[in-house]
Amino acid sequence: MRKHLLALGAVFVLSPLMAQKIGVINSMSGPEAPIGENISNGIKLAEEDLIKKGIHVQLVWEDDTGKPQISMSAMEKLATRDNVAGVVGPYTSACSNAVAKLAEKYRVPLLIPAAAKEEITRQGLKHVFRMNAPADRYASSLIDAALGLGKPKSVAFIYENTDFGTSTSKTAKEYVAKKGIQVVADEPYPKGAADYRSTLAKIKSKNPDLVFMVSYVADAILLMRQSKEVGLQPQAFLGGGAGFTTAEFAGERAISEDVISCTQWTDDVNWPGAKDFGKRYKARFGKEPTYHAACAYESMMIMAETARNAGGDREKTRAGLKAGNWNGIMGPVRFADYDGFTNQNNHPMLVQQIQGGNYETVFPAPFATRKAVYPFPKWK
Amino acid sequence: MAVFMQSLISGILIGGVYALIGIGLTLIFGVMRVINFGHGDILMVGMYLTYILFTFAHIDPFVSVLISFPLMFLFGGFLQKVFINRVLNAVAQNQILLTIGLGLIMSNTVMLIFTSDYKIITTSYSSSTIQVGGGVSVSWPLLVSFLITAAITAALYWFLLKTDTGQAIRATAQDRDAAQLMGINVKRMSIIAFGLGSALAGTAGALISPTYYIFPQVGSVFTLKAFVITVLGGMGSVVGATLGGVLIGITESMSAAYISSGWKDVVVFVLFLLVLLLKPSGLMGKSRT
Repeated sequence: MRKHLLALGAVFVLSPLMAQKIGVINSMSGPEAPIGENISNGIKLAEEDLIKKGIHVQLVWEDDTGKPQISMSAMEKLATRDNVAGVVGPYTSACSNAVAKLAEKYRVPLLIPAAAKEEITRQGLKHVFRMNAPADRYASSLIDAALGLGKPKSVAFIYENTDFGTSTSKTAKEYVAKKGIQVVADEPYPKGAADYRSTLAKIKSKNPDLVFMVSYVADAILLMRQSKEVGLQPQAFLGGGAGFTTAEFAGERAISEDVISCTQWTDDVNWPGAKDFGKRYKARFGKEPTYHAACAYESMMIMAETARNAGGDREKTRAGLKAGNWNGIMGPVRFADYDGFTNQNNHPMLVQQIQGGNYETVFPAPFATRKAVYPFPKWK
Repeated sequence: MAVFMQSLISGILIGGVYALIGIGLTLIFGVMRVINFGHGDILMVGMYLTYILFTFAHIDPFVSVLISFPLMFLFGGFLQKVFINRVLNAVAQNQILLTIGLGLIMSNTVMLIFTSDYKIITTSYSSSTIQVGGGVSVSWPLLVSFLITAAITAALYWFLLKTDTGQAIRATAQDRDAAQLMGINVKRMSIIAFGLGSALAGTAGALISPTYYIFPQVGSVFTLKAFVITVLGGMGSVVGATLGGVLIGITESMSAAYISSGWKDVVVFVLFLLVLLLKPSGLMGKSRT
């Protein structure tokens, strides 16, 4: 009996030193898996760095396969059965928005690494934090870059019709109205559609100066392939993140060259450790990381440290996230309330262009490493 | 005008591939009265077969049709002999459950082997086009798919009309008992029909793969389309399925261009509902007792 009491006592004394349980919800299989892979890899690198710092985490991985309802079940499981201190994830906007409300309900701090939909942090949810810049930045950074390169007067929107695409294009439409650019086409498409040719032909007939696309991986490739087929020739193709920033997309050399996209991170920005992270990721996993990897890495670093300092207590972790500020590979991070956002990191977006099969940062000026190619060269 | 022509042409081209899927399904229903809910998954297997042949043996997707057609025929025949044959006299619900189950086994097995990641086949001609004047460009891979589809459909008609086996299949479809009384081995006809239907589905998969993406759940999208096409054209009618496929392809393409990409599926289903309300047996179907 005394031995048991002693053991129990030791457990209580030592528990702050024991590993913190942190949940991870990610799209590890399913259509978003190529991007989800970046998030998983970023978190794995973070796990290693945390051990070096003496912070031990016990990660509970949940695969949502890109479906919001599975994301929600994962969150419920993490909150009630696994008793995690906090959760990092999920990936897509649709999943993140669904899970945010649950995080608030179960009072579990949730740090979203890379979901774009603005509304996620516009709901006054105290337990939901977001690392990446939201959709309105996607729009403004791309449009500002285009305006800095030429004098586009018209824009056509084509976007996938779930939360990500609708949110990003909605805010982009508002922005272009302010800048005096006319919207000549507005085409949402169902995610996973095969044939965009007639839609693209319709857009081509309107002769837009800019074509603004918001898509995930597979759609982005098909869209560009069919744009080439149809002979769509704007001054620039603007890709709103996600599918347009992946290695798979850049690998399709015939159709991805000179496409401009916005990103949360590139490896040639002078944020502490950014370049090394890029090199390390490439050496380890054989391909360049997307911005999702960097966002996920930094999110896990921040969540784990804060959870450790809070001793695994959810409310203290939440307070720690709110009050802290960090400076890592994503630059200065602080979760603030501003412009109607709650717990949003005011992150600057970067604009990149694929040149010679590589992503080069072209905007804004302080971060740019190369000049952009503009207008979009004639399809061969 | 360019938009109209572009939509019409892409609609016809993709409609050809849809027709192939529909013909396979209608053949299976015509001969066996089995509603094959696993048809899209058979198409998916055809797609993965093409992917394997392309990635590991570097065989062009269109050339690999020569290999995948017979392989998928054998696969279909196997499914029929081992599974479907046992439920030919069962209640329709049980037959459907079996085909759904087979479909699930196929898609999940593929998912275990290949993961759910989208695979894209990139060939040298993936984005090649032919300019037909007036600013209209025709996708080269789609055109080739359509030509191959047309060739296969023509061969199928010849087979069904002119050969003994083909006529035996049509006899079995018309009246199974009478055919049996006439000395036709209806069990064998069922196996051939299912094999043929699967080969057509698998080939449709092979033909779409250069212009679409490949993932284990792609079957469900195409099963649904196949049903719309088959019922639209009249269940059991090969001509009907061909017409239905091209009609659906054109409708999708035109509504994407003139209404909105987001509404094209709605238009297709509204059209489908109208046909069912006005001519329930389908465009070419005969009403059955």
